[in-house]
Amino acid sequence: MAIKIALAGNPNCGKTTLFNALTGSNQFVGNWPGVTVEKKEGKLKGHKDVTIMDLPGIYSLSPYTLEEVVARNYLINERPDAILNIVDGTNIERNLYLSTQIMELGIPVIMAVNMMDIVEKNGDKIHIDKLAKKLGCEVVTISALKGTGIKEAADKAVQIAQKKGAAVPVHEFDKDVEAVIRTVESKLGSDIVNEQKRFFAIKLLEKDDKITEQMKSVPDVSAEIKQLEDKFDDDTESIITNERYVYISSIIGDCVTKNKKNAMTTSDKIDRIVTNRWLALPIFAVVMWVVYYVSVTTVGTFVTDWTNDVLFGEIIPPAIENLLNAIHCADWLQGLILDGIVAGVGAVLGFVPQMLVLFLFLAFLESCGYMARVAFIMDRIFRKFGLSGKSFIPMLIGSGCGVPGIMASRTIENDRDRKMTIMTTTFVPCGAKLPIIALIAGALFNGASWVAPSAYFVGIAAIICSGIILKKTKLFAGDPAPFVMELPAYHWPTVSNVLRSMWERGWSFIKKAGTIILMSTIVLWFLMNFGWVDGSFGMLEAEQLNDSILASIGSVIAPLFAPLGWGDWKMAVAAVSGLIAKENVVGTFGILFGFGEVAEDGAEIWGQLAGSLSTVAAYSFLVFNLLCAPCFAAMGAIKREMNNTKWFFTAIGYQTLLAYVVSLCIYQIGNLFIGGGFGIGTVVAVLLIIGFVYLLVRPYKESATLSVSTNKMFSK
Amino acid sequence: MPLTMANPGECYTIRKVGGKEETRRFLENLGFVVGGNVTVVSEIDGNLIVNVKDSRVAVGKDMAAKILI
Repeated sequence: MAIKIALAGNPNCGKTTLFNALTGSNQFVGNWPGVTVEKKEGKLKGHKDVTIMDLPGIYSLSPYTLEEVVARNYLINERPDAILNIVDGTNIERNLYLSTQIMELGIPVIMAVNMMDIVEKNGDKIHIDKLAKKLGCEVVTISALKGTGIKEAADKAVQIAQKKGAAVPVHEFDKDVEAVIRTVESKLGSDIVNEQKRFFAIKLLEKDDKITEQMKSVPDVSAEIKQLEDKFDDDTESIITNERYVYISSIIGDCVTKNKKNAMTTSDKIDRIVTNRWLALPIFAVVMWVVYYVSVTTVGTFVTDWTNDVLFGEIIPPAIENLLNAIHCADWLQGLILDGIVAGVGAVLGFVPQMLVLFLFLAFLESCGYMARVAFIMDRIFRKFGLSGKSFIPMLIGSGCGVPGIMASRTIENDRDRKMTIMTTTFVPCGAKLPIIALIAGALFNGASWVAPSAYFVGIAAIICSGIILKKTKLFAGDPAPFVMELPAYHWPTVSNVLRSMWERGWSFIKKAGTIILMSTIVLWFLMNFGWVDGSFGMLEAEQLNDSILASIGSVIAPLFAPLGWGDWKMAVAAVSGLIAKENVVGTFGILFGFGEVAEDGAEIWGQLAGSLSTVAAYSFLVFNLLCAPCFAAMGAIKREMNNTKWFFTAIGYQTLLAYVVSLCIYQIGNLFIGGGFGIGTVVAVLLIIGFVYLLVRPYKESATLSVSTNKMFSK
Repeated sequence: MPLTMANPGECYTIRKVGGKEETRRFLENLGFVVGGNVTVVSEIDGNLIVNVKDSRVAVGKDMAAKILI
């Protein structure tokens, strides 16, 4: 018999750790229909017919966040055979708040009290037999991190699922409240099964407008609501919330024995230092410096060099060449495979090791609890330009690769803040943009050390200015959502969880190398190697590049970039090939200037590039590539996370427009300084700067506050 | 007085939770209920980390000003 068990619990209660432990690698990750909330399903180890569903972490079954709506619609409509409710034992009172609501759904519930190892270490005791009696469900203790008790918990869940008995909530509220709930229950239509009546009755009393979408007929309960509100002098939702907490406090004394009252926990002691008013930023700066120093300059460089020079230099290409020679492969196909596919995809995969090292660090910082503190530390600063502290994490990850960075924006609940973060995250120079920076710095600035930091500075300035400008447009008007966020307790993460998280992010990057980049290198190779010579179409010799299809396309779009200082078709083509993957820009230059393969920083072509560009034009080219629409893979991520075509084009359009304007100003104004003379371009640039400054300083538009519209997404 | 004025390390009772309905609900779900206890763990530029019902919650300055103790 197929059984479905849902995992439900607060965020940070160890739900995902338990899910991973229960299902192993047997997981399927997707999205809930219509929304960007992650949906994880897996088969229980050793039970092929038992499906485990990992619901999003929630504090309540109220309709205020997408996660809550998703979780509760699943529980009401799909009716899993059992709910495994995970409760954080160190924080049991708050966690039980959700439990009292889950009990009302009329689905068999088993409660797993997690983090028992920490509870015991603190010297606290949880009397699970008493807890089970007071709550009316079976209770087991586990430690998801250490893996103790999880097998028993899963077995019990399977057992009660097979029994099919529904949980009956035994908790009782004030007798006046109970009386009103019973009246409402009796008014409910027959489409609602008996076990769920209490849930629907309470939701109706709470004036929960999204619950009515789940009901065929909606009784009028305004009289009952008024009766309660008059009696308690409060609104019904607060009354019910309060009743739940009153009930929990009434049982908690019996069920939990605390070692000492109000003693500072280890986490609080760490927070005293790490989030201290004076020390927080210096500590954060040191942590970040270590992370980047190790992953970019020491270990990162070592493994990246090895992959690029040895693996994709000395091992794979000759091996494939020998193989192709051995099977007498046609010349053109050999060219496609070696110069197109292996060179193109290899260039991208060369970044993987460095990125994995960076993601390893970030995964560690995330799962030990520090990342949540970073959001807190950065919030005051980010708030000044209209973003929330939570926007910082996507940007940090985006400095490795924009794709997982954009995906990390999911943790931001507020719709508007999330969209703004998605739009600005790719301004941070990602790992793939570093070769472009190295190329320009080396070729035109004699490797000056200020070029690379200035690229990051341009990125940060773009984020800050965009934040301020966008906040003043109609699209984003209004205050950012107030910052409220639970901070998990500090703990040592398990190796497997850190590795899993690192791999998930790294994989999203590798996947793009295997799909989009593979496809586009083939197309690019074709465009570059075929063309019309003397009126006939055919494959070109290397020196006939100027006749290729690519050259024709490049010449058409090149004038567009003339005001930016680089109207040569080779520049235009290089910039466009950057859309496939940013590091392609360097490779494309290499091919366009007649070198088959170039080093990562393109040292071979420095001389030629310097000859065809002025320094100002080169910097304008660099800035354009840093700010304009990201690579296709990142665009795909933006499309997925925005979940809306109009927003997708708004984001891409904004990024490209900003890049164009900034590059134009850099070239035109810069030219003026180095004595290029005053022209129409200069006038346009000055006008653009005036317009830009106006957008920055104009007063805020007042507008009604936007809120997440979950209605539209769920009505089918 | 608002939570922003609380002394770190001292335990206070919550008197009132104000603010926009949506945020107030979220705070209530996180354990900020009238009559409950709250302790400020640390403070940066007005943003607070508080201990409420044994969990640590970070609250922005504007939100903290609406929690009365």
